[in-house]
Amino acid sequence: MKEPIQKPGTNPSSLSLQDSLSANLQTNEQFFQSVYHNCADVVYRHFSIAGKMKALLIYIEGMSNIEEMDKSVLSPLMQQTPAELENLHAIMEQSITVSSIKENKTFAEVAEQISTGNPVILVDQYSIAISVGLSKWEKRAIEEPLSESVVRGSREGFTETIAVNTSLLRRRIKSPQLKMISMNIGRQTQTKVIVAYMDGLADTTLVEEAKSRLQRIQIDGILESGYIEEFIEDHPYSPFPQILNTERPDVAAANLLEGRIVILVDGTPFVIIVPTSLYSLLQASEDYYQRFMIGTLIRWLRYGFLVMALLLPSGYVAVLTYHQEMVPTTLLLSFAKSRELIPFPALVEALIMEITFEALREAGIRLPKQVGSAVSIVGALVIGQAAVSAGLVSAPMVMVVAITGIASFTIPRYNAAIAIRMLRFPIMLLAGTLGLLGIMLGLIAIIVHLSTVRSFGLPYLSPMGPMRASEMKDVMFRAPWWALRKRPRLTGDYNQNRQPPGQKPDPSKGTE
Amino acid sequence: MRAITFFTKLNILLQISSLLLPVTLLTGCWDRKELNDMAIITAAGIDKKTESTIELSVIVYIPKNAGVGEEMGGGNGGQGQQVLVRSAEGISIAEAISMLQQEFPRHLFWGHNEVFVIDEELARDEDLRPTIDFIMRHPQTRERSHIFISKQKVKNIFSLNPPLERDLAEVLRNLAGLKIGVDITLKDLAEMLIGESGTAALPYIDILSPPESQDKKQTIADIIGTAVLKNGKMIGSIDASTTRGLLWLRNEIELAVVTVKPDNTEGYVSMQLLRAYSRLIPKIENGKWKITMQAKTEDDLIQNGTTLNTGNPQTIHRLEQDLKADIDNKVKEALKQVQHEMNADIFGFAEAFHRAYPNVWKKYKQNWDDIFPTVEVTLETTAKIRRPGIVTEPGAYPEQEVKTE
Repeated sequence: MKEPIQKPGTNPSSLSLQDSLSANLQTNEQFFQSVYHNCADVVYRHFSIAGKMKALLIYIEGMSNIEEMDKSVLSPLMQQTPAELENLHAIMEQSITVSSIKENKTFAEVAEQISTGNPVILVDQYSIAISVGLSKWEKRAIEEPLSESVVRGSREGFTETIAVNTSLLRRRIKSPQLKMISMNIGRQTQTKVIVAYMDGLADTTLVEEAKSRLQRIQIDGILESGYIEEFIEDHPYSPFPQILNTERPDVAAANLLEGRIVILVDGTPFVIIVPTSLYSLLQASEDYYQRFMIGTLIRWLRYGFLVMALLLPSGYVAVLTYHQEMVPTTLLLSFAKSRELIPFPALVEALIMEITFEALREAGIRLPKQVGSAVSIVGALVIGQAAVSAGLVSAPMVMVVAITGIASFTIPRYNAAIAIRMLRFPIMLLAGTLGLLGIMLGLIAIIVHLSTVRSFGLPYLSPMGPMRASEMKDVMFRAPWWALRKRPRLTGDYNQNRQPPGQKPDPSKGTE
Repeated sequence: MRAITFFTKLNILLQISSLLLPVTLLTGCWDRKELNDMAIITAAGIDKKTESTIELSVIVYIPKNAGVGEEMGGGNGGQGQQVLVRSAEGISIAEAISMLQQEFPRHLFWGHNEVFVIDEELARDEDLRPTIDFIMRHPQTRERSHIFISKQKVKNIFSLNPPLERDLAEVLRNLAGLKIGVDITLKDLAEMLIGESGTAALPYIDILSPPESQDKKQTIADIIGTAVLKNGKMIGSIDASTTRGLLWLRNEIELAVVTVKPDNTEGYVSMQLLRAYSRLIPKIENGKWKITMQAKTEDDLIQNGTTLNTGNPQTIHRLEQDLKADIDNKVKEALKQVQHEMNADIFGFAEAFHRAYPNVWKKYKQNWDDIFPTVEVTLETTAKIRRPGIVTEPGAYPEQEVKTE
């Protein structure tokens, strides 16, 4: 079937992106020339199909697979025999040996295809454009996730390419129940965002809520999932992160299987997961991969060091300036001995050391790896050895700061550790002015705040507040997999049962 | 409704926090004390100075002289004196403390004062109750600090330089903790003084004489017995061996090695206490006040200096009888000295009667001083030897010399 021939010579300047393509090749070309004005990377290639029909190929340099284009599109088309020149559909069906092609009718559709890297062929006399799925650009290989390393577990990490990331998820969850809804966010960047969830496991209202929050976003560009996080979180002024982010496909898959929603964003290896609670920020994927006993012990170690990361310096300051009676005598005497020549009050000393430590950490992160190690050497010497021997800082304080630093590294999620690091300072000031009472005030304020926070409808402290005793086995402990029978309850309806009961391994279950 | 933008919200937040910030500073850290500004007292003691005044001595820790601070300047080199002793005179302890403060450029800090020593002269002449009142009332002093009566002047005792421990406070605290003698904290003392009998027993200390060749100051104070207080004054003392009897009556015995000489053999057998327990059972029969002390002890045999074969149950039984006799003797000695000579009920008989016969007690409470010396004490001691050790026959005797019985 032949496309009706339209009146040639429409003035391209009167056209807009929403309009349909013109049948006049020249008009179309002029329009795209004007849209991609001053875009040196857009390539226009005139050719003729079988030496008869004029055609134009538009693509962006570096985003398309040119070799494949030459082999599978240009050479068959240009060597067409005239007999097969009846209509464009026949040509497409017979000559273009590429798996994915698409017909586009409006300028906007064509522009989108070009921007995605798909070459577009415009043919004279036809008001449709054929885009060929040959986009290909340089991308990073799948590497080990640097921010979440494990001893045991998958070494694959998400990459910047969303198609690769969805495939990583799909390879882990083969069920067609894994749904992925795509949308573009960002007026200029048109960033592809995919909402992934398990149909039947995720609460439908939760999925709707996530989608509607994403659709509300109006911004010119999304360059990282952090942009989205700030737009969709429940309590923007809370220091605590209400959304989990991960680089690991296995973590994302595990959360999908618990009925959570994973939001993938093109251009970043970090996907975000909602809803989340404080406790999931304190759990690492490896808790579930190693045997359950060590998983449980490590969790308790983490809880203990979480408290230390928050309170150790302030506790030290409070006890040393207000409650000297509380320390065992011998310990107090060695504190007194080491503090004797220190010119600063304990609070100032603690602040100096903590701030220096934070600065060192920041410097170490931003610098190139080669210089980074130099920073840590200098740091260790400056804040450790030299400060103590110069009599500016007492040795116990160096220990306190070091233990606090290590404690904050035991928190597996970097963004949760940041919250603790920030809150440490106000509590130190409270400890320095009100002693242990100040620390208690600070703690009460934090806990009251935490109880008000929700993440997509999930109370932040759940399952501790509201208390759900049956879920404690994945918070206070890490129960063995055969005992983790039920999924955690998030919001609304949920599919409770993960697996049938009675799977504890036992000799009586064997055949003999 | 006007939309609240980020900046108006931030503005509100800033305004609130600028109002709240001064609140934390309003306290002015009134209570803040840096360690560098404190003189940490580790022990305090009171001497009688003149008829009307007392002398308060304290041991204060000197942080800058303390060893191992090698990273600090490094100039300390040789070990200086770790503590210093200063004294001040006053009519009462409260006044003496304020005089003492004038001698220190730092705040006196009582929070770690673990040891109180009272001079015997003062304890015998003056009522100690006002002093106890001060110590109990003061917010900083510890109610759990150990309290001692000293035979020597406290000032002399404090000037000792213990070769092993950090200072004398540590020596005395550890000695009290070993439970060789009575271990009385300030709280216990206050309780005893307001108790039914108004008596108290305190560890009695003296300077341990150092070996001839050594510096006279290189020694410690040790517990030589028990001082007995009645109505706030010291009325006498008993020696270390009699103190064992006292501890048995008070059910405070914890560490003991008993050495007995069995009949018909040469040499001694030593037994170490494993578990001990005693209780007082009061009884009033026909107007006669009686106490039965039931004591049970389990011991290990730790040295056999005789030729007895301890593998023989009969031998063990004989030794148990000797052990029982030894305990009974010590208790009787304590009763003789404290009950009959001093008439001070430091055994807790008054409390025992009060608990068992509250109505009778009310009537006779006033006459306790007359009743106490007449209380008849029966001893029901059982001793068991649990383990004779891993050699049955005496270790170093030829077989033919071992008595088989």
